[in-house]
Order: sequence, then C-alpha cells, then structure tokens
Amino acid sequence: MEERTPAAGPAAPPQAELAVSARGLTKRYGDFIAVRGIDFDVRRGECFGFLGPNGAGKSSTMRMLYGRTEVSGGRLTVLGLDAARDARKIKMRVGVVPQESNLDSELTVRENLEIFARFYGMTRAEARRRARRWLEFVGLEAVAAQRVEELSGGMQRRLVIARALLHEPELVVLDEPTTGLDPAARHAIWQKLQQLKESGVTLILTTHYMDEAHRLCDRLVVMDEGRILAEGPPGRLVEEHVGRDVVELPAAWWQAHGAGLPEGLVRRQLRIGQAVFLYTDDAPALLQRLGAAPEAPRYLARQTNLEDVFLALTGRDLDDGDELRLHAAGMATSAL
Amino acid sequence: MATSSASTRRAWPLPRFDWQAWRVWERNAAAWLKIYKTSVLLNFGEPFMNLLALGFGLGTYVTSLDNVPFAAYIGPGLLASTVMMGVTFDMAFSGFNRLHREGVYDAMITGPLSVEAIAGGEYLWECTRAVLYGSTFLLVLVAMGLVRSWLAIWILPLMILPGIIFTSPALVVATAAKLEDHLFYYFTLVITPMFMFSGIFFPVSNLPEIAQKVIWFTPLYHLVNVTRGLALGRLGPGFGADLLWLFVAALVALPWPVVALRRKLLDA
Repeated sequence: MEERTPAAGPAAPPQAELAVSARGLTKRYGDFIAVRGIDFDVRRGECFGFLGPNGAGKSSTMRMLYGRTEVSGGRLTVLGLDAARDARKIKMRVGVVPQESNLDSELTVRENLEIFARFYGMTRAEARRRARRWLEFVGLEAVAAQRVEELSGGMQRRLVIARALLHEPELVVLDEPTTGLDPAARHAIWQKLQQLKESGVTLILTTHYMDEAHRLCDRLVVMDEGRILAEGPPGRLVEEHVGRDVVELPAAWWQAHGAGLPEGLVRRQLRIGQAVFLYTDDAPALLQRLGAAPEAPRYLARQTNLEDVFLALTGRDLDDGDELRLHAAGMATSAL
Repeated sequence: MATSSASTRRAWPLPRFDWQAWRVWERNAAAWLKIYKTSVLLNFGEPFMNLLALGFGLGTYVTSLDNVPFAAYIGPGLLASTVMMGVTFDMAFSGFNRLHREGVYDAMITGPLSVEAIAGGEYLWECTRAVLYGSTFLLVLVAMGLVRSWLAIWILPLMILPGIIFTSPALVVATAAKLEDHLFYYFTLVITPMFMFSGIFFPVSNLPEIAQKVIWFTPLYHLVNVTRGLALGRLGPGFGADLLWLFVAALVALPWPVVALRRKLLDA
C-alpha cells in the first residue's frame, strides 16, 4: 500500500503493480470517435478518477474497461488481462456500477443480490451469505424484503454498489456513482467508497463533480472530447494549472481598467462570457489593487478548484460543456 | 483496424444451455413465483371460456366433427394455442421490459453472463412454462373426459417444440420494438390469424387450396395436428411429417434471439 504515493513516480511502474494500463485506447461508434487514443495507468489500491463533462468519453472508456463494449483500437490491459481477448475473465474479477441503476424491479432487494451472486456460480448458501454481508455494508438490511422501486435513488445506488461487490472484485469501476443524488445520499456513498479504498480495492470512477473527484481520487485525468488533457493528483493539478486563488470580475470593467496592474500579479486570465477570471498566487495584493482602483468593481474571490483547471484547459465549463458560462457573469457581479 | 475483433471473437449465434443459462432460468422463476396466481388466471381464463362456450355451447349445434364430439375436437387445439399464446405474450412483454425498461439483460451482461446464456435461459424458462401450460390444460381436458388416448401423455415433453418455436420470434420482436404498443402488431397480424386458421375450430381442408398452402407454413397448424392426434389416439399418415416440421422449425428458430440481442446489447 505504501508505493501508492500519489505524487507521480519516475518511470511507469511495473505491470504487476498496475490494475489497468491503456495505450492509444480508442473507441469508435461508426464514424463517431468517442475516445481518441488515450494513455493512462491505474495502480493497484488507488482511486483513479476521470473528470470531464458529458460526452468527454468517460463512459465509453469505462465500458471498455469492464468488457461491456469492444476496444476499437490501441491496447487495454485490465488486471493483467487483455481486454480485447479476455473480456469474460475480466468480468469475473471486476465490479461494475453502471451509470444507470439497472436493478431488477421484478425482484426484492435481497433477491437482487442473491440472484446476481448466483450468476457468478456461487452456491445458494454462499449467495445468501454474500448478499447479507454486502447489504449490511451499504446499510440496507432493513429494506431487504422490499421491492426495488420502493427505494430512494440513493438507496438504489447503494444497492448497485453492493451488487458490484458480491464477488469481491479486485477492481471496482463506478460510472458517475452519485450523479442525480442529494447531498446526504452522496456523502453516504463517498463514505462507503472511502471504506472500500481503505480495504485495498482499486477504484476507478468517473464524475463531473469536482468535489467528488477532489475528495476521493488519489490521481485523476481531466478528459474532454475523447482526449486526456491533464493527469495527476487533484491538488497538484490545481497548483500547476491555476495556482491557489482566483478573482472573478465583470469583463467590462476589466477591459476598461485592467491594464494598470503590475506584471506577474495575475498569473493567468480567462474570459468566460461576461466574466473574467484572474488566477493569482497573491490574492491579498490583487484585491488591494482592485479596491484602490477607480470605480472599484464588484468581485468574487475564492480558492481555485478542479473546475478552474478544466476551465483553464478548455475554456469551457465542466457542468454541461456549454461554450459560455453565462451564470458566472451573474455570480461575479452580484457576489459582494 | 482493430475493429475486426468484433467478428473474429464472436462464435455462431447459438444460445448456450450451460449453468449460466440455468441461473437466468432461476431468476425468471423467482420473479414468476411472485405473480404466478394472476399470471395463471390470465393465461387460462380465455382458453377455458372458449372451450366452454364453443365446445359445449356451439357444440350443441355442431354435435360432432371428424367423428368426435365438437368439444373433444377443439380441446387439443385449444391446448396448442394456449401454449402458443402463453409463451408469446410472456416472452414479448418480459423481453421488452427486461431489455428496454429495466435493464435486466444489461445488468446480466455487465455482470458475468453472456448473451448466449441469456438467450439459452429464456428458452429454458419458456419451455418450462410451455410444458406447464400444456400439462395444466391437459389435466382439465382429462377431467372433462375429452381425452381419448394414453398417447396424450406425449404432449407434455413435445411442448418444448412450441416453447422454442414461439419464444424465438417473440424475443426478436421484443428486441426490435421501440414501444410496447409495437408488440401488438405482432399479436394482431401474426398470432391471432394463426389462432383462427390453424384447424383448431374446423378442418383446414374446408379452406381454399391457396389458404391451405399458406397455412402449411405456420407452426400452430402442425402443432394442432400433433396434439389432436395424440389426444384422440389417431396418428394418421401425416403425423410424422407434422412432427418433423416442428423439429426443423425449432432448429431454425434457435439462433435469432442471439443475433437480435447481440445487436442490441453489444453493438450499442
């Protein structure tokens, strides 16, 4: 467990320490290319994230990982097995939480687990034992006899996670595990994933929530339009690309008065719709300058996060991939 | 291009009847046990009404056909059509829901099951139901004194044939349908005409020659001949041909659900 220090190692680690290795991995659907030759390595025991907007190619990458769709090009090794040839063997060792909670609504909560365990060839007694164990893990014993549709969205999600763990996989792939859930339900799931990680299971997850990526992932890649734009531990990605602080201002004011600032105070600036984002390593000095300026603007100062990394890398918003982030303009002018 | 792996990896589109297929059977049995009371009532209500109304109502006017009482004539035919309808409706609606609404198949192949095992499991389950429908209906016919021969016992294992023959198109139709309503095209345009014109209520030989030729290509006609022959103990010269027709049809039917499910689940 010690060799999984998140700081990037010197060379690529040896195969035995890798849960997943991809080189030039490509996915095509007819003429559409969803994943454009990406490279990444996931080490055993770490939590590795794919952060990006809808349509970035995250789900296609996941579906190739767990053998649900064929690899169109490049090489993909999962748990030492070739994904193009050994998809069936990989499935026996990988747990999957797909984007849609595809539970069996004709069965009860408990049966959903027991029967799925039987798909892996377990005996009835073993299936019952595992179902009980993982129901307890996700805290659903009390509703074991209920039908799936009586569960809340968060409970359904936890049941899907339990189902992914029945065969005690070495690697669990989670495609947007908390999308559409309320904050309490998201926290409940994060706790469970944290517990899993501590038990040594390798986790790979996709998300378009930067807080989720930041909280759970040891390392992550930022994906957009089928490509990987950046890779590293979340903290380092933020540090490298956007520094620690950002000040959001109305673009109009910046155009009129922005020229007077000293060199180097603003490390990087980004215009998004009606707002300008000034990334700085010295926020107090910048704010003092702004306060002293003629017609001092209304501004919003905050810490940078992974969303800023995404903005800086693509010029677009993470949430929906919209070309312009119009709501940012409103935020910047009304926040003070 | 590495896309050729798609064609090289895939074997012939044959269902597999391995232990995984039996796990799918088990899943279906667990789901069915929750609803079997209503399901049995729905499946048998209509054929029994037909038997009572036509066999004994109309039967007082049409006293005999082919030298047997009218009820004994149509009884084995209704058994055959009940099996056809039971398998068809169950597979079409269940298949549609499991594929399009609930992602049951999707979960199965995201897990360790193969498409071939899923198709195999659906076949096993529907054949089980076909035998169940057949035996329940046969018991009623026996109780009503409408069965004339011990040969009728052979009807039970033979219901595996319509089990396969009607599961296949129903699952393919369920896969192709975009809306549940689309299933009714199949019921109305294919299943209902077969029910009317397969010699259940009157001998097909009364129909024009061209109609007889068309009917020869439909499975229910041969199935009715077989069940009636066994129930009445009259194995005429055509019996072997009817049986052979059904065996061949079952073999021809087998691969299509695998083809349809592969297209829907793997190529998406």
